[in-house]
Amino acid sequence: MKQTPSGFRPMGEEYAAYLRDESRTTGHAETISFPTTEQEIVEAVNACRESGSRLTVQGGRTGLAAAAVPFGGHILNLSRMDKVLGMGQTADGFTLTVQPGAVLSELRKKLAAKKFDVTGWSDASKDALGAFMKSGVWFFPPDPTEASATIGGMTACNASGARTHGYGPTRGYVTALRVVLPSGETLALRRGQVFAAGRHLTLTTEQGTTLELDLPTFTMPKTKNASGYYIEDNMDAIDLFIGSDGTLGVFSQMELRLLPMAPQVWGVTCFLPTVDDALTFTSLVRGMKLGEVSMEYFDGNALDILRRQKAEKTAFAALPTIPETAGAAIYVELHCQTEQEAAEKLFAVGDALEQAGGDREVTWVARTESDLDKLMFFRHAVPESVNMMIDERKKTAPSITKLGSDMAVPDDRLFDVMALYRRTLKEEALESATWGHIGENHVHVNVLPRSEADYARGKALFVRWAEAVTEMGGAVSAEHGVGKLKASFLTVMYGQAHIDEMAALKYTLDPQGLLGAGNLFAAREGGRS
Amino acid sequence: MNCIVCIKQVPSTNEVNLDPITKTIIRDGRQSVTNPYDTFALETAVQLKERCGGTVSVLSMGIPATERLLRDAVSRGADRGLLLTDRAFAGADTLATSYTLSLGVRRLGDFDLILCGKMAIDGDTAQIGPELAAHLGIPHVTDVLAITEVGGASVTVETAWQGGVRQVKVALPALLTVQKDVNQPRMPSIAGVKRGLEAPVEVLGAEAVQADAKRIGLTGSPTQVVRTEAPQRDSTAVYIEGDASQQAHKLAELIAGLTEGARA
Amino acid sequence: MSGLRIDKDLCIGCGNCANACLQEALTVDSYAEVDSAKCILCGMCVDMCPVSAISIEKEESGIDKSAYGGVWVCAEYLEGSLHPCALELTGKARELAAQLETEATAVVLGDESADACASQLSYAGADKVLLVTGERFAQPVEEVWAAALAELVRARKPEILLFGATEFGRSLAPRVAAMLETGLTADCTLLEIDPETKLLRQTRPAFGGNLMATIVCPDRRPQMATCRPGVLPMPELDETRQVTAEHVSPDVPAAQKTLLGMVRQAAAGKSITEAKVLVTAGRGVGDKKNVALVRRLAELLGGDYAVSRPLVDMGWAEYPHQVGQTGVTVAPDLLITCGVSGAIQHLAGITGAKTVIAVNTDPEAPIFARADYAVVGDCVQVLKALIQELENGTTK
Repeated sequence: MKQTPSGFRPMGEEYAAYLRDESRTTGHAETISFPTTEQEIVEAVNACRESGSRLTVQGGRTGLAAAAVPFGGHILNLSRMDKVLGMGQTADGFTLTVQPGAVLSELRKKLAAKKFDVTGWSDASKDALGAFMKSGVWFFPPDPTEASATIGGMTACNASGARTHGYGPTRGYVTALRVVLPSGETLALRRGQVFAAGRHLTLTTEQGTTLELDLPTFTMPKTKNASGYYIEDNMDAIDLFIGSDGTLGVFSQMELRLLPMAPQVWGVTCFLPTVDDALTFTSLVRGMKLGEVSMEYFDGNALDILRRQKAEKTAFAALPTIPETAGAAIYVELHCQTEQEAAEKLFAVGDALEQAGGDREVTWVARTESDLDKLMFFRHAVPESVNMMIDERKKTAPSITKLGSDMAVPDDRLFDVMALYRRTLKEEALESATWGHIGENHVHVNVLPRSEADYARGKALFVRWAEAVTEMGGAVSAEHGVGKLKASFLTVMYGQAHIDEMAALKYTLDPQGLLGAGNLFAAREGGRS
Repeated sequence: MNCIVCIKQVPSTNEVNLDPITKTIIRDGRQSVTNPYDTFALETAVQLKERCGGTVSVLSMGIPATERLLRDAVSRGADRGLLLTDRAFAGADTLATSYTLSLGVRRLGDFDLILCGKMAIDGDTAQIGPELAAHLGIPHVTDVLAITEVGGASVTVETAWQGGVRQVKVALPALLTVQKDVNQPRMPSIAGVKRGLEAPVEVLGAEAVQADAKRIGLTGSPTQVVRTEAPQRDSTAVYIEGDASQQAHKLAELIAGLTEGARA
Repeated sequence: MSGLRIDKDLCIGCGNCANACLQEALTVDSYAEVDSAKCILCGMCVDMCPVSAISIEKEESGIDKSAYGGVWVCAEYLEGSLHPCALELTGKARELAAQLETEATAVVLGDESADACASQLSYAGADKVLLVTGERFAQPVEEVWAAALAELVRARKPEILLFGATEFGRSLAPRVAAMLETGLTADCTLLEIDPETKLLRQTRPAFGGNLMATIVCPDRRPQMATCRPGVLPMPELDETRQVTAEHVSPDVPAAQKTLLGMVRQAAAGKSITEAKVLVTAGRGVGDKKNVALVRRLAELLGGDYAVSRPLVDMGWAEYPHQVGQTGVTVAPDLLITCGVSGAIQHLAGITGAKTVIAVNTDPEAPIFARADYAVVGDCVQVLKALIQELENGTTK
C-alpha cells in the first residue's frame, strides 16, 4: 500500500486469530483495521480501492463458509462497532438500530433485561424505550446456533437457526440498512421504498450517484436458501444486499424488527425407532399445521455419539439418558399464546408420535426456561461432539476438517433426499452423523472421515449431492452461505451463465473485484481488473 | 413410603433491578417457576416411590397461579397436590408460612417423610424445613444428598457435612431438606403433562384448614421489613489507568509491593 | 385485620407504587388503590412512596416485652472445639448489651469438655456463661438441643438470641424459633440497636443482592438472628474479665436421630479460607474456559482461586470454591476480583479481606465501592496481560 491510512495495522502475530473463522480455514492478509464509525469504514474502503488491495469484512468470525477469511489485502474487522444506537416504535412494535458488530448474545441479554446504554440516544429513541419498558417481552427471532455472531455477519449471510422454520431467516427482520459501497459512496436503504422494475434495479447513493443494475435472470428454488444473491422480479432493493456474503458493500448500520415473545414456549424431544419412522412423524406433524416454530432431527449415529459422550465425559454427564430403543429423535418447539393452546398442540404431536411408532411416555417435554436450556444443551452437544471427534482425528490425518452438508429440498422430496444420503454413504462406506432442520428438509449430513481417503470421498459425494439436490429443485447452501468453500456448488446449482450474471452485477459495484474476493465466485486474478 | 413434598413458587430469576430514579422494577415477563431446590426434593421423592411404592403429594402455600406448579409436579411423577391460598396467608414470614404448611400436612393425612428443598432462591434463609418439623414435632435432617436405606420405622440418609458426607439414621416420620444437584429432576413426558392437567389438586383457604387467624399471614409474622434500600456506593478506591497491558504492569508492581510488605 | 392501607389524603397519584409492585396489585388513577387479592404485603410500595401515604398495618400480639432482658448467644461447640464465630457473636452481644444496659450471656451445649469454653467466652464479652453440657448433649442432635434452648429461654426470657449461621446453626436456630413462636432473621450482615425503639435492627441482603433489607421483630421475644462466621469482627479477648459459669440441666426428649459418622471426608487440600492470596472469578470472565486464567494467576501468586455463586450454579467451578453469603467467608491479605460485580451476598463473604483489587468493565460495579484498587477494563485481557508479566518476571 502506498501510504498506510491511520488505523491500518500490519498483520502481526497478535492478530493471527483474525485469519480464521469457524470453517477452520486459515487465510492471509497484510493489514487489519477496527473502525468505530461509518466514516472510518469509508476511508478504509477508499484506501483499498485506490491501492487495488483486496478487502475482507469480518464480524464475529463465526461463519462456516470462510466468507470472513481473507486471502490477501486488508481485513476490515467491525467488532468495535458493537453499539445499539437507538430504538424505534412502529405501529406493530419496536425496532432497534444497531451497528454491524453488535453481538447476538449481547443483544439478547439487553432485550431480556430491558437494559440499554442510552448514551447518545435521541429523545425519540428514549421515548420508544419508555414505551418498551412497559410493553411485555420482545425478542429478535433469528437464532443461529453460534450466538457470538454479529448482526452484520448475520445480515450478510441471511443467517438461520432452528426457529427459522417458524419465524423465517434474518432477512425478514432487517427493515433498514446503511451500506458503504466499494466506490466509497453510501446507500441508505429502507424496506418498502425502492423496488426493481422486473429484473432491473436503479439505486441512488446518498452522494447523488445513480446506479443501474441488471439483476441475474435465474429463479431461486422454493426452499430454504442461502445460495448466492436473493433475486426476484420487482424485488425490494434491500434484499439484494441482505445475504450478499460480503461482496456488494460493507454494512455500517442496520435497523432490526422485534417481535413480541409468545407467553408459552414448549419444546418436546420425541424418540422414534427408525429414521423412516422419524420421516413419517415429520410428515404427519407438518400435515397437522400446528405452526410449530422448529423441528430438529437427530439420526441414530448422532444419538450413539451422545450416548458415548454421556458415559465418557464429565462435561456431558448431565445429558439425560437416551432410551435404548431410540434410532432417531426429533425435537419440536411450539410458541403459543395460552397454556391450553400449547397443551392441545402438544397432544397432537403425541398422536402423530404414536402413529409413527413412538411412545408418548418416552418423551421429554420442556416448559420452563431451565428445561428448555437442558434440551438445547442436548441438541448442541451433537455438533460440539463431532467437532471434538474431528479434532481428535486431525492428529493422525491433518488435512481433514469438518465435512457437513447444508442442502435443502422441497417438502415432497424429503424421503427421496434422505434415502439418497443413506444409500450413497453406505456405498462409499463412510462414517457419518446427521442432524438438522428437518422441518425445512434441511439436514446437515456430517461425514466423519477416518483418513485422508475418506475425506476425499466425502467431498466428492457432496458434489454428487449438489447435483441431485439441484435436480430435485433444492438449494446447495440452505443456511451457511456460499462463502469461499461452496463456490463450486453454486455453479452446479445455477450453471456458469447465471454465475456470470451474478459476477457482472458484483463488478458493476466493484469493478476491481476487491470486496470479499473469492466469496460466491472465484476471485479475479490478483484482485485487479 | 408416603411422601409429602413442599414446593414454593419463586420468580425465575432472583435478581430484581430497580431504576433508582423512576423506581420502576424491570419486569421481564418471565413466568414464575418452582424453586430449583424443591425440584431435587421432588425427584428424590419420586425415585423413592419407584423403589418402595407409596404416594407422593405436593404441597404449597401461594397465589392461585401456583396451582400450575403443583400440576407440573404431578407431570413429573407426583400423585396429587394441595394448594393453600388465601388473602389471609399474605405477608407471611417463615414462622407463619411454616405454620400454614403444617396445616396442609395435617390435611394430607399420614406420611412417612416430608421433603423440602434446602432453601428458596428468593429467600435464602433455609428456615422453612426446620420450622415445619418443629410445628409437627418430628425430627429433621438438613443438607440431604441421598436416601440410602429405607426401613419400616426409619431411613438412613447421607448429608453434606463439613465438606464431606455424613450418614444419619432418623426415625419416621421425619422431615428432610434436600441439597441441590443431588439428582437430575426428570422432565415430564407428553403422557405426564396430560396426567398433570387432569390430576386431583385441592385448593383450600384458611377456614377450610381451620387456621388460627393469629398465626397466619402478616398477623402471624413476628418479623417485618422496615426499610429496603440500595446500598451506599462511594468509591475511595485508587484507580489504575491505561490499557490492559499498562494496567497489568502497574498491578504487577503493586502486588509485588503488597506481598513484600506482608513479609516485612 | 392486617393489610395495606393507602391514605388518600396524602396520595399524590405519582404511580411509583404501581411501578414497584411485582404482583401488579396497584392501580393509580387520581389516587392509588390496591387489589387485596393480588397483594402479598411485601412492602416494596411502602418504601417507594415519596409522601409515605402507604403503610402496612398489623395487629399487636400482646406479649409483655418488659419481662424480657439480656442478650444471649448460642455458642457452637462441636467435635471438641469452640467455633470462632461464637467469639465473634459474643463480642457483638457485649456491644448490644451495653447499649441496652443489660447482660450478655453465652450458652454452650456439648459434652463435658465444653465446660472449658467458659473462660474464652467470658474474655470475649460474656457476662455469664450457661453450660448445658453432659452425655445427653454429646451429639449435636437438633431436636434435643432445640428443646434444651427453648426451655431455658422460656424460663429466663432473653430479649435477643443470636446464632452463628454455621452448617449446624442454620439447622438449629429455625427449629428453636418455631418452638418459641418468634421471628428469626438469617445471615445478617449488620446488627444494631435502634436508639429510639430499642429494637434489634437486623440487616441482610435481599432481592439477589441489589438491595439491603432491614428487619425488626417488634412484638415477639426473643428477637433471633444468625450471622455468618467472619462477618462480625473477632473481639479482643480481655483476660481480666470475670468468668461466671453456671451448669444447667433442662429437660429434653430422647434423640430421634443417630449420627453414624463420615462416609467421605472433606477433599484433601486446604480450604480457600486459609489462602493469604485469593483470586476470584465472577460472571465477567465470560466463559468457563477463562476460569483457567484465574487459577493460573492464583498459582503464580502462591494463592488459591475462588468464584462467585453464579459460576457454581452454571457448573464452571465446584462449590468449595464459592465465596459469598451462601458459600465460604474469606479474609485473605490480598483479594483480586475478576469480573465480579459485587452483589451484596458476595461482599458479605469478603468483609475481612485486607486489600482488594477489583477488575471489572463496568465502572458502576458495586465491587469498586469495596475495593482499594480499581481496574476498569476487560478482566480477561487484564488477566492475560498480568499473567504474561508475572511469567516473564519483568516485575520482581
